Amino acid sequence: MGHQFVLLISATIFCVGAVGFLIRKNPLVMFMSVELMLNSVNFLLIGYSSFQNSMDGQIFALMIMTVAAAEVVVGLAIILTIFRTRHDMDVDHINTLKG
Amino acid sequence: MSWFGNGMSRKRAGLIGCGSVGLSFLITLIALVGFLLSEESEKGGVSTLYNWVTAGSFSLNMSILVDPLSVFMLLIITGVGFVIHIYSIGYMENDPEFSRFFSYLNFFIFSMSLLVLAADFFFLIVGWAFVGLASYLLIGFWKEKTSAVLAARKAFVMNVIGDVGMVIAAFIIFDHLGTLNFLEVFAAAKSTFRPNDDTILLITMFLLVGAFAKSAQIPLHTWLADAMEGPTPVSALIHAATMVTAGVYLIARCHVLYELAPFTMYLIASVGVVTAIFAGSMAMVQYDIKRVIAYSTMSQLGFMFLAVGVGMYSIAMFHLMTHAFFKALLFLSAGSVIHGLNDEQDIRKMGGLRHSMPVTHVTFLIGSLALAGFPLTSGFFSKEAIIINSYHADMGNIIFWAIAVLGAVMTGFYIFRVYFYVFSGQPQTDVHAHESPLIMIVPLGFLAFLSLTAGFGGGMIDSFLATYFGTNMPHPDDPILETIGLSAGLIGIVGAIGFYMTGKDGLEFAKQMLAPLYDLLFNKYYIDEIYDFLIVKPTRAIGAFLEKRVEKFGVDFAVDQVGVQTREVSRLISFWQSGSVRLYAFNMIVGVVTILMFVVFL
Repeated sequence: MGHQFVLLISATIFCVGAVGFLIRKNPLVMFMSVELMLNSVNFLLIGYSSFQNSMDGQIFALMIMTVAAAEVVVGLAIILTIFRTRHDMDVDHINTLKG
Repeated sequence: MSWFGNGMSRKRAGLIGCGSVGLSFLITLIALVGFLLSEESEKGGVSTLYNWVTAGSFSLNMSILVDPLSVFMLLIITGVGFVIHIYSIGYMENDPEFSRFFSYLNFFIFSMSLLVLAADFFFLIVGWAFVGLASYLLIGFWKEKTSAVLAARKAFVMNVIGDVGMVIAAFIIFDHLGTLNFLEVFAAAKSTFRPNDDTILLITMFLLVGAFAKSAQIPLHTWLADAMEGPTPVSALIHAATMVTAGVYLIARCHVLYELAPFTMYLIASVGVVTAIFAGSMAMVQYDIKRVIAYSTMSQLGFMFLAVGVGMYSIAMFHLMTHAFFKALLFLSAGSVIHGLNDEQDIRKMGGLRHSMPVTHVTFLIGSLALAGFPLTSGFFSKEAIIINSYHADMGNIIFWAIAVLGAVMTGFYIFRVYFYVFSGQPQTDVHAHESPLIMIVPLGFLAFLSLTAGFGGGMIDSFLATYFGTNMPHPDDPILETIGLSAGLIGIVGAIGFYMTGKDGLEFAKQMLAPLYDLLFNKYYIDEIYDFLIVKPTRAIGAFLEKRVEKFGVDFAVDQVGVQTREVSRLISFWQSGSVRLYAFNMIVGVVTILMFVVFL
């Protein structure tokens, strides 16, 4: 496995996540896309960590996962509240802040 | 002190009010005795109570200066103040706000003591402003009277003009000498300034603004006559005996500075002598008994300024003292008359009071004689000394002398005009005049005694104050001038007798003959109207112009436009705030990618 392979997979996953975030309307799916992007970075970190025989990257990956878990808790709570108040899950309809 | 409001009984308010002042009088007496017993070299000293403010190189101590001059002033303030306090108990007897009156009166005594005891310009100005406030509160004491409130405001505004002058003077002094302490300033001034330096002229002029405002000299004199709206004891204490003499005190205190500025001295003497006849002439035609005495006060203050202006400080202080006695006496007697006639102040409605108010009659007569300079009364010695020295002093000249003599003639005339109006002839009203209670009579008798005898203390006062002024009162020997000066007051008295005893016909005739002059005097030279025209109206016009033009089209427009333009710009850019999460995310990604492209490929 060369460097290019790791980079390619990571970039692919990231792009899938980014495009998914942009084109999907359901906030839950958008959330999963965000996780994809985060995990693409984790993949990159772990890959390079093993190439360079250093644990730093893996430690960072662990940290990102922890933060992501915490962030998911908050995000899901927000989504839940929005759904309870609006009974509508389409992000395009949530534009109360339009100037 | 007695800020306990009306909850306190009259008796207790009066007791505390008088007691505290009496006590300070006793302490001053002790200080005086201490002075008289001490060695020549030990006279005077600064007593520092505590350090008040320190800012950089500037440090301000709360300290008092005890020297012959301040002890002398304190004696007058607390002594006359004590007598007037006692009198007030009787005068204000029926006033519902008895204790408020006494707390103000005590506040005044405190401020005035602070003023004369101050060891530096800072506390002098503090005391200066405090007495102005006390004066304001007491003039407007009867707050339900519109005229009293207006008079209080006028007095305050005029005094603030003076305060500003004083403050500016203090700034200049500090700028050049680096200290505000009297003794240090005087020591430094001698070595720093040459005579008639620009700076010293500036300092003395600005101090003079303060002195003129406080002592009601031209051109800041208009407030004093209006100040008579206050209760009579206030007029006696503040506007005759003590506060208005603060200007004279200031110049005497700063005589070192003034000696370095002969030009200012000359100005002081000129303004003083002009005020003396100016106010005297107005006093000759007024009908309000208190206003006549008020103009008389201005006139006598003019004499004092003349005395300090020609460098005769101890004579000025001497006249200040005798004036405090006889003018307080006159005011209190007038107050007794007003009290006896149920608050009537118009002398045309008085008359024949010598039978119904025998004691007041005698005391008023003594006061009048002393004011007119009748031989062997106190006013005779002090005023005679001023008149004679206005010619014989180094800075005196014959013009000062001639005008001063004219002023003395007027003095005799106007005060006896009042005397005859009030006490002789027939009663003009149905009000049954009654003699005042004992608590008002006793102070009158005491002051009358002082008015008669204080003149003999001139030599003593002179030697007492000589340590501060460094010079003694000269006694020029000039029989001719002395005789003329002596007869001046008598001529005035005789003139008044001639006019007011011979019947109304001659009087009316004279009034007709001199109608334009009479009107001019009666309307106080139209000074109030002139000020109104020169200062108040233009200020109002400028104000109106500013409101209509500058305010509306300048300030308002600018402020409005800020708001309007902000709203317009926001409307333009709020297009970006679509509220769509996906658009935000897209923008972000595009932005990050663009930046990455720059970083990686450039």
